[in-house]
Amino acid sequence: MATEFDKPPHWWGNFTLPHEQSLQWRIGPLTLIVHCLDGEWQIGHQRTADFDNDDSTWEFQRCDLLPETLDKHSRYIFSKILKQLTLTPRLADRPIISRPRVPFNLTAGEEVTLYISSPLWIELTLATSPATLLEEVAIQRPSDTWFGSSTLEGELCYASSTHCRINLAELPQRVHRAITPVVIRNQAETTLTVERINLPAPLLSVYACTNGQLWTPQVTLIRGKHGDMAELKIDNKAPEQAESPIRLSRPRDTASAGVLIRAFNAVFS
Amino acid sequence: MSEYWNDIINFLSSEKLWAVTRAIIVVIVGLVIAKLASSGLTTIASKKIDPHRTMVLKRGSYYLILILFLVTALHQLGFNLSVLLGAAGIFSVAIGFASQTSASNLISGLFLVAERPFTVGDVIRVGTTTGEVLSIDPLSVKLRTFDNLFVRIPNESLIKSEVTTLSRFPIRRADLLVGVAYKEDLKKVRAILEAVADKNPLCLEEPKPRYIFQGFGDSSLDIQFSVWAKRENFLDLKNTIYEEIKTAFDEQGVEIPFPHVSLYTGSVTEPFPIYTTDDKPLDQS
Repeated sequence: MATEFDKPPHWWGNFTLPHEQSLQWRIGPLTLIVHCLDGEWQIGHQRTADFDNDDSTWEFQRCDLLPETLDKHSRYIFSKILKQLTLTPRLADRPIISRPRVPFNLTAGEEVTLYISSPLWIELTLATSPATLLEEVAIQRPSDTWFGSSTLEGELCYASSTHCRINLAELPQRVHRAITPVVIRNQAETTLTVERINLPAPLLSVYACTNGQLWTPQVTLIRGKHGDMAELKIDNKAPEQAESPIRLSRPRDTASAGVLIRAFNAVFS
Repeated sequence: MSEYWNDIINFLSSEKLWAVTRAIIVVIVGLVIAKLASSGLTTIASKKIDPHRTMVLKRGSYYLILILFLVTALHQLGFNLSVLLGAAGIFSVAIGFASQTSASNLISGLFLVAERPFTVGDVIRVGTTTGEVLSIDPLSVKLRTFDNLFVRIPNESLIKSEVTTLSRFPIRRADLLVGVAYKEDLKKVRAILEAVADKNPLCLEEPKPRYIFQGFGDSSLDIQFSVWAKRENFLDLKNTIYEEIKTAFDEQGVEIPFPHVSLYTGSVTEPFPIYTTDDKPLDQS
């Protein structure tokens, strides 16, 4: 049985857990329950299959259910009594493959901005110094997919369950997904047909704006003059569309951030 | 007795004892240096090269250093190495005849190392044996099967037979065999199968699942539905997707038939007698 509790402005942030009580989050298709005991943390989660992907609501409440009543649960034992839990939204650990509703052509010298919605993971950490990572939970488990010229060459990625849009207003704003503006610039002399785009999610940080929408920095993909190489630029700030942004998490892979040159077929197909 | 004792004293005071001692010391030092050098090289190289090459480097460096020290030890004992090498040529013919199998395995092992069809840690299938490669040795390859048995396969067998490396590529295809009743609409069946694959997160979106109609079977319309998965998720996908197909077929009323057998007695024979449960055969009434 759930009871009302002071609802914070966002589902992420720092939470102090009441002793021997459970807190429950419902974010998109995910139900997450955390239970705190003396020197022990219990975490459980499960996802609903019949979920409205456009549902943007989230819930936070105190409940009597234990994490072990959910599909997946785990226990963590500590010698100290720790009460502070931090939930941080993070992007996927693999690139996200997104496709427009209908493939489009970009003629020589043209440029377009696409908006890609990516699924998020929740990082659960305890407020110790340094922070103790308990686990990461995917809010919505995306499908695996393969991005490459053949089954021998390529990389394993996640498939975005939504289409990328040219008009931001057409993209539903959901609390459990982050939006990335992707600028595609075709500097080659031939037309570029965009069927699928490889978004380098591990290189992106997550920002929150005042209305609770999550954003990532803008990504610019430039198709080179000879057409076989693509330049990948990642901004080190939040996009212009995000109002009063606050950075919530760093990129997973910081080593290769900045300007990258990649083979054309590693970014587009 | 005193003569025997004098011989011992002469030996102990002679140069021979000193030469034998030096040879033993050289061999012991050689063993220690070979061990240390091969371990050191392994530690340095393991960060940069795969386990298979690390193992080859370790063994190669160990035996090379040991042979050098053994040759030095023989030299200390006064052996003429050119004579020894000449004798080795004659002996090698005799040894070659005597150890054909071992020599064949040894040469096959060299080809395996050079060709690298698999490395330590790969999962391979040889004949009916499937397992993880534990080591690739000069004479044989050692496997650990999934029921935790230790299998030794001679290198010669591996060179001669078909070897399948299951862990070579990051993705694998699972060919699901599905049979539906003759009355079913195949377009509907195809749509159900594609929807099941689309919902399963372990099933790769690309390469797309492939629907192949295999033909008219004895009791069912036979379909092959091929789906791709990450190598590590291959078995999980097979297990979950078969369950999901069964559930989806049950929900949509698609029949999965079992084998039917029609008995035909031929045009010249009498038809089969049929009884209802309340009836009795004529001869019992």
